[in-house]
Amino acid sequence: MWQLISDGLNFLTAQSSVSFLSLFWFVLVFEIPRYLMGFISVAVLSVRTSKAPGPVDVGRVSAVIAGHNEEDSIERCVVSLREQSRPPDEIIVVSDGSTDRMPEKLRELLASGRIQEAHCTQMRAGKSAGFNLGAGRATGDIIVNVDSDCTFDRNAIREIVRPFTDPLMAGVAGNIVVRNPNVSVITSCQAIEYMISISQGKQAANLIEQMTCVSGAFGAFRRVALERVGGLDAGGGEDLDVTLKLRTAGWKAFFAPDAICYTEVPTTIEALTRQRFRWERDAIRLRYRKHRDLLNPFSTRFDFIELLHELDFITFNIVAAAAFPFYLIWLFVTYGDFAPLILMAAQIGMWGLDGVTFLLAAWMVPKANALALVPYLPAYSPFYGLLMRFIRLAAYIQEWVFRASYRDTYVPQKVHNVRK
Amino acid sequence: MTAVAAERSGTEPQPVTGRKVLVAEDSPITHDLLKLLLNQRGHTVDIATDGRQALEALRTNDYDVALLDFHLPHMDGVQIANAIKQDTHGHKLPRLIAITADVEGLLSHAEGCENFDNIIPKPLDIYQVGKLVEEQAAIGDEVRAAEEASPAPRLAVETKGARAPASFFERLGYQFLVWPDDLEATRLSARAMQATLGDPRFDGILIKKPVSADDLATLWQRKALYVLPVVDLTGTLGVKADLDGSKLNAQDTDQIAQVLRRFQDQRARLNRDLLYSEVLSEQLVGRVFISGQPLTAALDPTSPTSVSYNTTMSGILVAREAETLCEQGLFKREFFDRFYVCGRCDSTRMHVREECFKCRSADLVEEPYLHHFKCAYQGPESQFRRGDELICPKCRRELTHFGFDYDRPGLMMVCGACGHAASDPAIGFVCLDCGAHADSDSCRTRDVYSYQLTEQGTGFAEYGRAFLGQASQALRFTELPIELVVALNAAAKRFNEEKVPFTLVNIFYENEREITAEHGARQFAQARELFLENMRANLSKADMVVEGQSYDFALFRDIGPEHARADFDSLCKDAQSTVRFDLGAKLKAFGPEDFS
Repeated sequence: MWQLISDGLNFLTAQSSVSFLSLFWFVLVFEIPRYLMGFISVAVLSVRTSKAPGPVDVGRVSAVIAGHNEEDSIERCVVSLREQSRPPDEIIVVSDGSTDRMPEKLRELLASGRIQEAHCTQMRAGKSAGFNLGAGRATGDIIVNVDSDCTFDRNAIREIVRPFTDPLMAGVAGNIVVRNPNVSVITSCQAIEYMISISQGKQAANLIEQMTCVSGAFGAFRRVALERVGGLDAGGGEDLDVTLKLRTAGWKAFFAPDAICYTEVPTTIEALTRQRFRWERDAIRLRYRKHRDLLNPFSTRFDFIELLHELDFITFNIVAAAAFPFYLIWLFVTYGDFAPLILMAAQIGMWGLDGVTFLLAAWMVPKANALALVPYLPAYSPFYGLLMRFIRLAAYIQEWVFRASYRDTYVPQKVHNVRK
Repeated sequence: MTAVAAERSGTEPQPVTGRKVLVAEDSPITHDLLKLLLNQRGHTVDIATDGRQALEALRTNDYDVALLDFHLPHMDGVQIANAIKQDTHGHKLPRLIAITADVEGLLSHAEGCENFDNIIPKPLDIYQVGKLVEEQAAIGDEVRAAEEASPAPRLAVETKGARAPASFFERLGYQFLVWPDDLEATRLSARAMQATLGDPRFDGILIKKPVSADDLATLWQRKALYVLPVVDLTGTLGVKADLDGSKLNAQDTDQIAQVLRRFQDQRARLNRDLLYSEVLSEQLVGRVFISGQPLTAALDPTSPTSVSYNTTMSGILVAREAETLCEQGLFKREFFDRFYVCGRCDSTRMHVREECFKCRSADLVEEPYLHHFKCAYQGPESQFRRGDELICPKCRRELTHFGFDYDRPGLMMVCGACGHAASDPAIGFVCLDCGAHADSDSCRTRDVYSYQLTEQGTGFAEYGRAFLGQASQALRFTELPIELVVALNAAAKRFNEEKVPFTLVNIFYENEREITAEHGARQFAQARELFLENMRANLSKADMVVEGQSYDFALFRDIGPEHARADFDSLCKDAQSTVRFDLGAKLKAFGPEDFS
């Protein structure tokens, strides 16, 4: 292994610029822009550090938590919300057909005044319908959508509502940090992934107003806007869905890096694979079925601004995933036994870039406790560059060919049966 | 307000002193004692030692109260009473109180005893005498005031009002005290007075007019009345009565006889301590013993505690006394029910209701949630309702296929007052007595129990205070024999004037119960007598040994309790030496300071 690494390093340094291009075209096309975007966003953000301190007045804030069988986590989540520097004016919890003791738990919370409304249904309706029920009862101007397994940084609510001073702002995504990075290599890699995706993806997207996913774990909506687009729609990926709906209705979406929310990520490779399969399938379904008119120049909803993130997704997610196997085949066919060496050389280069990106991300998200993650950094590149890319590719094929997202248990089957 | 009126109004709470009292009594011990007692309370006492003297005194002086012994030389108490009632020779008619050890003789006297206003049984309860004299004097004042206010008043005083019509019960040949004729809160009839002496010929108390437990408090304030079964002809007492006469008719005589006999039998077994007790907790033990029924709690909407027991004592008092008895091990309890209690007024009459978590209004309307699968809209049904159609408020589609388009995942309670909604309501209470509101979380609870006698309790009922042992009882003056009280008074006087100490010794027999059970009460009495005889022989002439009821007593003059105690062991041993049974005598000493 070490021999391979040192050979790879020698190989990498021995390349001329032309041969470098011809060998590592894949990296140059699909990886380097990703890093570049991160570097640029950090550079820009470090110049304009216009962080307005103190609270802002955006009106009444309601927190809505919809969950299924969350008796263990709901109280911790509520306590975490009540501990806020700017606590929500009301907390509404929906127990979505829970079969555990969640309804009793909610009764206690309601009786002790720690939440203001509790709704318990006997049949599961799914996250979207649960949230819609709670949001329909909410009286706030801003509705914060919260997953019950999340806990919050003390200033999370204050920071997530701050962008709403812009009257066109309709959705703000919170910054999600992994709460259980120390459980396994898998969770450590995800912690690094979440951290880097902020500096590389969301911060950069913020700069060019390309934020497309107000995450379901922690996101805030302007109620008027949410009502106008009809709240969340049925099916998975409702967070991406509603953000796209809001954007195309003329509203703005934003990412609030200081609104920090902690959540637990899957601890095993199986659970992680299932989760990512679901996410990727939903992304495909939403972008290329439900919202495919965004790509149609003759549609009324067509907009060049939206085209930007569509192209970004096509290039760096779909094409990159699809092209990777071809690159591998090409490498092995052309260079035979040299191929592993070349791949290693590419990996070494990416390790270097990852190191820099990691440092930048650590500087931007101090709460992520980056130092403890350093030992896992070498595992991160193969994890993200290889594993995630293959998962994505498999998920895309599965969805396109088998429409697998219509069988996700995340949504009750009765809903799958009738939705688009 | 006149001076007289001012004085009179002052008499109500505080007995007026300086009454003039005639004591007609041939026994020098008794009249000495009565004089001493009444003088101490500030009254003037004249003594008459025979009947003629007494009548003479009554016709030449104004007395407030006359205490007349039934058996007197020349003329008995009843004759004196009749004579003075007929002709006072222009003097004030005093209140007449009979003193007698022969209550039956008095009551069966040919000339009748209705001229007496009250009866004091012998042996005398020295506390009762003082209290009664003052009470009767005050009543006399009132009667005279009433006479002055309206002429021809005597009829009004004597008339007992329209008597309730006789029921078949009274024709069954039983002796009943009748409410309200015999038992009024302020005044007992002569028959009722007799019953307070524990006369076994009374069979029960007949309730002929609607009463409450509070009205019947008299039964517990006097002696020996509480042991009588209560027969309720009105049906208003419910479970509190021992026999509901309103549901019985002349054919049910067997049942009536059975209940009354049961009470009679048990009453005969009840110890005198309890029969004559004025302590509520002891009466309660006696009551449960006599009725043969546990104190059973029953729901009662008329009581603020929502509970009453199968006795005429109010539920609150029963619970309080019974808890004390549980602590003493005489009662054991059994859970009956748990009540929510008003934090403001302590009532348990609480109105329970479902109410809004937010504004506490009870105006809640149940409404189903509807879930439209296709667009994930979920909300109350009213938002979907358009006439008899269901239209999704979000996507405007019609909901047509239950289970495929939509379903009803649950119910919500919507508050008509504030609009708050929740999937289940809060529970709240409103007090019916004071209107206070309480949440189910903050509302206190009270557990209510039924009670029954323990073995210990039954023992206490049968054997009296002695059964509980000496230590558990303080010295009771009412139990002391009269000659002892007189001697004790003299000793106390000597102590006060000359600082000569004295010791009263209380003798208690630990093995009384065992010996009685094994060899009979007569054997025990003989053994006890011998023991006292031996003790007398071993003590000096100046000392005194007196037989009491549950305990015996000795009075040592010239010696304080600390010295007396030193001799107890040898004293006991010597007295016990010739006695057949080991009596287990225990001696307890009381010095002058115990009587302060």
